[in-house]
Amino acid sequence: MTDISTRVPHVMSSPGRRRRSGGPRAGTVAAFVTPFFLPFLLFYVVPVGYALWQSFRVVRRTGGQYGTSYTAFGGLDQYAQVFQNTEFWSSIGRIGLFGIVQVPVMLFVALVMALLLDTPLLRVKAFFRITAFMPYAVPGVIAAIMWSYLYSPQLSPVVDLLTSVGWQPDFLGPGAVLWSAANVSTWLWTGYNMLIMYAALQAIPQELYEAAKIDGASQWTIAWRIKVPIIAPSIVLTTVFSIIGTLQLYAEPAVLRQISSNISSTFTPNMLAYAVASGNNYQQAAAISVVIALITFVLSFGFMRLTSKRAGL
Amino acid sequence: MSNTVMRTSLAAAAALSLTLLASCSSPADSDTASAGSCTPAKGKVTLQYWNTVPGMDKVVALWNKNNPDIQVQTKNISNDQYGTLGNALKAGKAPDLAQVGYDQLPSLRTQNAFVDASACSAAGAAKSKFVPWTWSQTSFGDTGVFAFPQDTGPMALYVRSDLFKKYGLPIPRTWDEYAAAAKKLHKADPDISITFFDPNNAEWFNGLLWQNSAKMYSYSGDKWHVSVASDQSKQVTEYWQKLVSDNLVRTDLAHGSTQMYAAYQKNQIASYVGASWGYSMFRDNLPQQAGKWSIVPMPTWSADGASGDWGGSTVAFMKGNSHLYESVKFNTWLNTDPEALALENKLGGLYPAANAGLQLPALSEGVPYYNNEKIFDVFAESSKKIDTTFAWGPTQKTVNLALQDAMAKATAGDGTLTDALEAAQAAALKSMKDQAIPATAGK
Repeated sequence: MTDISTRVPHVMSSPGRRRRSGGPRAGTVAAFVTPFFLPFLLFYVVPVGYALWQSFRVVRRTGGQYGTSYTAFGGLDQYAQVFQNTEFWSSIGRIGLFGIVQVPVMLFVALVMALLLDTPLLRVKAFFRITAFMPYAVPGVIAAIMWSYLYSPQLSPVVDLLTSVGWQPDFLGPGAVLWSAANVSTWLWTGYNMLIMYAALQAIPQELYEAAKIDGASQWTIAWRIKVPIIAPSIVLTTVFSIIGTLQLYAEPAVLRQISSNISSTFTPNMLAYAVASGNNYQQAAAISVVIALITFVLSFGFMRLTSKRAGL
Repeated sequence: MSNTVMRTSLAAAAALSLTLLASCSSPADSDTASAGSCTPAKGKVTLQYWNTVPGMDKVVALWNKNNPDIQVQTKNISNDQYGTLGNALKAGKAPDLAQVGYDQLPSLRTQNAFVDASACSAAGAAKSKFVPWTWSQTSFGDTGVFAFPQDTGPMALYVRSDLFKKYGLPIPRTWDEYAAAAKKLHKADPDISITFFDPNNAEWFNGLLWQNSAKMYSYSGDKWHVSVASDQSKQVTEYWQKLVSDNLVRTDLAHGSTQMYAAYQKNQIASYVGASWGYSMFRDNLPQQAGKWSIVPMPTWSADGASGDWGGSTVAFMKGNSHLYESVKFNTWLNTDPEALALENKLGGLYPAANAGLQLPALSEGVPYYNNEKIFDVFAESSKKIDTTFAWGPTQKTVNLALQDAMAKATAGDGTLTDALEAAQAAALKSMKDQAIPATAGK
């Protein structure tokens, strides 16, 4: 991250500062860091370590109709199963499609909204900013429940309205349900991404705009030629967040599943992991989770490296 | 100094993580199928009892009032019942007693979830108090006592008698007559369906398979034999596939959802293939339709055929229970005492598994919502016609999920319901292999 932030020194604090900490201050640093480090260890490192450990185990059983189960070291058995699992790959393919469409759409809308907020044209800024951000305050599950009412042919005023004008939408049908879930995610997260971009826009010094105006640049040119390139690091950041979020997709489809049979129990990789765990196969669920984490890691870091190289950061 | 603090805390965290890892992997930890001991505790005992029945806290309050020495604390785990139980077991923090459905008993048994209460003579003696097939489902064919039956779900047909009258439909006694009624209804008014087929409800569907004597599992020669895709099962899937393909049943409603009640509310559906506990569900969720519903025997495959069971639960003795004597006492009262059973029937809609429960005055009276019909006579008759040899598999949850996913595909036009049986069969074999349970495909 420091690579990117140095390009826009106004956005984040200067990296030079941290050099000064040394010998006698180590105690103070530890005192400040421990409150973070302990929960991090307990609630992050330990569970991850436990999942890793589980992913290398297999269930064994003493004889008899039910037997007594215990776990033993199983090497890469669980991983071999993940890679052979067609359900796993089709769930990855499904959210890949989801992400390729949803992430650009959402970030484009967020960028346009952030740029609009930043122009002198828009009068009711505070109101616009808060309403756009509002959905982010709604928990994902609640949002999905709310939207599931709007999608449901039995209950939805929206469907009633569309039906009355002669269009019978089936938001929960086999072809549409993925995009209905994408719509919920977009609704939830656009305002959040907009705020990150807007914060970056606020940090751009006014002199740049004045110089551009003197050179005869229109608002349009200023937006696309000056603002967007300068806040590129924020766009990269929101993209990385969105890639991670897409791979973790769970709440929206899991809630929609309760009213649509077109969402299977293995619809997204996380749902598959949950379904496997609920069948008491904790070891396989752990291996699936580890593979999802690795894919997330590779994709998000890959994207960051790619963009930082191309932008010459 | 802060360095020391940090190092100590790091060491503590590392030690903790090691204990966590160790406790979850040691084979000695899982040696639990053995019998517990049955000695009365000295002094007061508090038992933990997790359940999913509405109003159970009031039933337990009655017990607590009369038994100051054996206090019971309840916790409702309706939201993700088996997830909650599974995690508690894995963490070694299971309650003393928990509600477990018949279909999930074998799965939990393979997770070493229970303790054998047969050391308590009262536990073995309870056998005679329950309807025989319910007892055999809890004892897994051996002499151990792992759970007491609580309720059953004998199935029946709920009909909107006003709609049946309006469209001149006779009450169907066989599945053929039911299909004919579906056709006639659809012809009279395409906006009404005879019922809905919820592809996401394997439990309901299993009840239909059970009715047709479809044996999904058996055990012999040190092996499980999986026959989810048997001929009897295929007869059921082919029947429903035809109704689905001909658009005679709705497939867009999830059981128990707001959408389902809305469809009934709007008079779009004329009947419901359900279980005994559904009586309170309709009464409580569709109060405006009081007097319009009747309960009749479930359509059968042959003139004098069997009925099915959907749901029903047990109260199991969970691993780690150190108060078996007191647990048996409470569990016996909870599931055989007439006062407790009457309260559970009234508040939670439970249809008792105890013989004494079937004699309850409340079960011989007319129910106002159903035109004062004696609906429990229908369920009692159904209960007698349930195939008592039906057995559940040790990885039922996974099989159910696979069945649901494939049935949903079928109703969306991708494959057939019979294909779904094959998918479930494959999932059963695979999941048993994953759990190191020897299994082969049966006939």
